[in-house]
Amino acid sequence: MTLKKLLKPFKLLSIAKKAGVVTVLYPYQKPLITPEFRGKIVIDSTKCMGCGACANACPPNALLITESNEAVILNYFVGRCIFCGRCADVCPTGAISISNEFELATTNLDNLKTILVHRHRECVNCGRPFATGRMLEYVLRKVHMAKKYINECPDCRKNRFINIVSIRKR
Amino acid sequence: MKNNSLKKSIWVFHLNTGSCNGCDIEILDALTPYFDVERFGIKLVASPRHADLVLLTGPITLKTLPMVINALRAVPRPRYVLAIGACAVGGGIWYDSYSVIGGVKEFKKILEEHNVEIDKIVFVPGCPARPEAIIYGVALLLGLVKEKVSKEVVVID
Repeated sequence: MTLKKLLKPFKLLSIAKKAGVVTVLYPYQKPLITPEFRGKIVIDSTKCMGCGACANACPPNALLITESNEAVILNYFVGRCIFCGRCADVCPTGAISISNEFELATTNLDNLKTILVHRHRECVNCGRPFATGRMLEYVLRKVHMAKKYINECPDCRKNRFINIVSIRKR
Repeated sequence: MKNNSLKKSIWVFHLNTGSCNGCDIEILDALTPYFDVERFGIKLVASPRHADLVLLTGPITLKTLPMVINALRAVPRPRYVLAIGACAVGGGIWYDSYSVIGGVKEFKKILEEHNVEIDKIVFVPGCPARPEAIIYGVALLLGLVKEKVSKEVVVID
C-alpha cells in the first residue's frame, strides 16, 4: 500500500510525459484560426457606394449611416460589432469582406472607428447635391438608358417631365 | 507604459455586470492550462480588495450598477479595468436599451460623479472576445505587444 503511494508521483510523471506540453505560447506564437472564424469586417473604400444596406442589416447598429445635405457618412464602430457577417451578405457591391482580425484591444475608443465620407454629386441644372457619385455609377451599370438624366436631381427630372407633358397638351 | 504596479504579478477579479456568460466562459478558457495566463503571473482572486485588474463583462445594467461601483471602489489604486466583449466596450446589442447604461464610456462619467477613478481601461472588442483576444488585451496593458488598430477616415468624392 505504501509502495503504491510512493510510486504515484512517478506514475503521474509518465502520464504527463505522454500528454506532452499543451500550453500555447500565444502572444509569442501564431494563434489557431480556422477559416470559418469571423473577425473584424473590412470595408473596401474603392467599392463602397454609401447605400446603407449594411447599416439596415446590422443588429447592434455598429454600422451607422447618417445623411446630411452634402454627404453620406458611414460609421463603423468595431466596439459594438458582434461579427455576425450580415453586412457582407447584403452588400450589393461586395465592398464588405470578413477578415480574421481579432487582436483589436486598445486603450482609446477612437481607434476602433472607421469612417467613410461619401460626398454628394451636384445636379447639373440647379446645383443641388443629391446622390453619391458611386451610387450614380452603380445605376448606370444596371440601367444603361439612364444616361440621359443621371446627372439631374429628382426634382429637375420631375419638372422636365411635367414641362414635356404640358407642351404636348397645347 | 510600464508601471511599478505592473512589474509584478497582476491579480484579476472577474466582474459580471449583466453579461450573457459568453465572455465569462472565454475568461475561464483563458485561465485553463491550454492558454495558461499564469505564465504572466495572472491569478484569479475572489475579492476585489486583492485585485489589480478588474475583468469587466456585460453592458452594466441599472440593477448591477451600485454593486459595480462598490466593487470598483474596493479595488486598491492603481486600478485597471479590462472591458471585455462588445457589451462592455460599446453596449453591444443593448446600447440604447432602457435598462442598460451602454458601455464603459457612459459608465466612466457616472464613476466620476461617485469619485471613483480608474487609471487605465483597455477595451477588448469581440462577441464573445476570444481567449487569445483577452490575453492580447492583458499583454497590451503589460506592454508586451503593440496596438494594431487605428482610426480610419476616408473621404470619397
